Amino acid sequence: MGTSRNVERRTILKVAGASAATLGLAATTGCGGDDSGSGDGTVTLRYAWWGGEPRTIAIKKTIALFEKKYPKIKIKPEFTDYEAFWEKFQTQASGGNPPDVFQNAVGFLRKYDKRGVLLDLKTQADAGNLSLENFRNGVLANGQVDGKQIGIPVGANTMALVIDLKAFKKAGVEAKMGWTWDEYFDALQTIQDKAKIAGDTGYCSIMYLYDLYLRQNGKAFFTDSDLGFTEDDLTQWWEDGYKRVRSGLIADPKKVEQVKPLSALSAGLAASEFTWDNFSIRYEGEGESDYGLAPIPTTDGKQTGQYLGSLMLSAFSGTKHPKEVAQFIDFMVHDPEVGKIMGYDRGILATTEQYEAFTPTDDNNKGVKAYEEEVAAAGVLGKITPHPSGADIIEAAFLRLGGEVTQGKTKPADAAKALFSEAKAAFAG
Amino acid sequence: MTLVKEAPVRPAKKRSTAPAAGRRGRRRENLAGYLFMSPWLAGFLLLTAGPMIASLYYAFTSYNLFTPPKWVGLDNFTTMFQDPRWQKSVEVTLKYVVVATPLKLLLALGVALLLAQSRRGQGLYRAAFYMPSLIGASVSVGFVWRALFSDDAIVDRGQKIFGLDVGGWIGNPDYVLYALVALSIWQFGAPMVIFLAGLKQVPRELYEAAEVDGAGPFRRFWNITLPMISPVLFFNVLLESIHAFQVFGSAYVVSDTRCGPADATLVYTCYLYQKGFKEAQMGFASAMAWTLVVAVALVTAVLFWSQKKWVHYEEAAK
Repeated sequence: MGTSRNVERRTILKVAGASAATLGLAATTGCGGDDSGSGDGTVTLRYAWWGGEPRTIAIKKTIALFEKKYPKIKIKPEFTDYEAFWEKFQTQASGGNPPDVFQNAVGFLRKYDKRGVLLDLKTQADAGNLSLENFRNGVLANGQVDGKQIGIPVGANTMALVIDLKAFKKAGVEAKMGWTWDEYFDALQTIQDKAKIAGDTGYCSIMYLYDLYLRQNGKAFFTDSDLGFTEDDLTQWWEDGYKRVRSGLIADPKKVEQVKPLSALSAGLAASEFTWDNFSIRYEGEGESDYGLAPIPTTDGKQTGQYLGSLMLSAFSGTKHPKEVAQFIDFMVHDPEVGKIMGYDRGILATTEQYEAFTPTDDNNKGVKAYEEEVAAAGVLGKITPHPSGADIIEAAFLRLGGEVTQGKTKPADAAKALFSEAKAAFAG
Repeated sequence: MTLVKEAPVRPAKKRSTAPAAGRRGRRRENLAGYLFMSPWLAGFLLLTAGPMIASLYYAFTSYNLFTPPKWVGLDNFTTMFQDPRWQKSVEVTLKYVVVATPLKLLLALGVALLLAQSRRGQGLYRAAFYMPSLIGASVSVGFVWRALFSDDAIVDRGQKIFGLDVGGWIGNPDYVLYALVALSIWQFGAPMVIFLAGLKQVPRELYEAAEVDGAGPFRRFWNITLPMISPVLFFNVLLESIHAFQVFGSAYVVSDTRCGPADATLVYTCYLYQKGFKEAQMGFASAMAWTLVVAVALVTAVLFWSQKKWVHYEEAAK
């Protein structure tokens, strides 16, 4: 460490920084004190999530249900969009003040486990405050890291090809299970010729899709602590992608950029987009066409490389009320009424109680259900591959560098080299 | 200035013989002064000076917010200078400063010259031209700008009339920075007001004399107005350059928080923010912040040095 004088100096700096942070925090929250407990035994938990307005409305309804059933526990909601959520969370967690319960995703599990932020919910399950039973299709494993249960899935979803049904119909193209990449690109050509729009919104910048492609070829995006492919692999992927952008099979990235926050698919710039299947519900609300789900193209006509991803609920390791936190999570993932309210907003409901309680009535939710069932029945689902600490930073870099390639601003080989160098820093961080 | 000159200087002898009651009164007065200052002092020490010192220390550490900072010496600086994205951010920022600052000042001066002439409804014109500066810093204007310069939006349609089809500026890495420049120029109100004040100070008799000598409007501007307002021009150049180096909000909002496309709007502070708050590399971000402080100080020093050659002060002329 160094001499005692160094330590003293460091302490002074820390005090200065901490006081500044505390003042700032007090100013933004309007209260500096601990309000998580009160004299009459009432406990207050902070619950944070990201997502759009429909999700927030639904979650608030589920909170009201919970508070009715557990009058001694009050829930204080906090919500933002995805980007802002993780920026805020990082600052809160580093100051030892993250929410008691929060929405989480697989890309962040190891990162915050490594930093000691996540509560091992297995201990609470053992104490009988939370049930780890009745999770469908082994999805509970998504929340496990090194034998600990640090996330409890609320929904399960898988990558899919969301398609503009009208455009596909106009072009006379039909997507079928087990179709190959060549057949997919031929379909894009037909769509371009007959429906006069680009076929795809920009597949080559999506990290999770490239992961599927690698898995189809016996590799994966991540190993336990590194990238699972070579610079040459990625160079090839981006070279092909760039060619397709130039030939117009993929939507012009300049236009895609400008319709944000709308998706290029719902804005009508292209006829299909690779994304998580529950996004089709969002696009239905956003766009003017009708949207459906189609299978992921394959390399060998069989394996899609797909797995069940999921959104989860995690808890802060330093929460003052681990029991109440566990009871809250248990209610949120098992209560049938909650399932009815949430629907497939965060993917297919993860537990049998909630899955059976919710019967989709609209075409879109029905479509998601049918797709998930078809994929499960086809037996293509594999086990999720690791997401090391730093995966979130690499995903952002992949999106950005892929964008530079498709904009014609960086050569594929240079971009691949940059990704490897940035990944090295992200893993070390 | 005159106030200081006129203030009576108390002889030291008198002070030493002052009655004890008077001294106590003065001390109480001082104490009251410090007491009134204390909110500002506390704010300055805790919110500005403290974090600045902490950040200077972090610049020499590897610090991810969670584990204690680890001393790495100059590593952050060497990594930074070799980082292609850092180089890109410097390039983008310099381009922005060099293009936006002169254009903004030119427009501010031009409008100030027009508004300096007395005419009916002068107050209304001044208010109207100053207005964008009042709302310019808000995030909502960033969104409006995004809408204006997007594909098939008003600017794009206007361009198409002249046969210039670029498909919107926002998604185009070659144009998007100029949308930010346009946003900066549009907020010319503050330098304009300062120019106006400067123009009002130019003695009328100089113009009258010049007119008698047969000098035309351009000549009068070049030989009288410009030298006479050069201190104000210097002040504006200094302030606006420093301001331009720190551009953040517009780049962040117009690019939908990504400072893109293809890093085309990756201004210095945007990269600093990404490193600090998205990637949690606080040591690197602090090193970047201090490099910016030094760079801005250097630019300021160069401007101060150069003013001897082109800024005309009346006292010096006498």
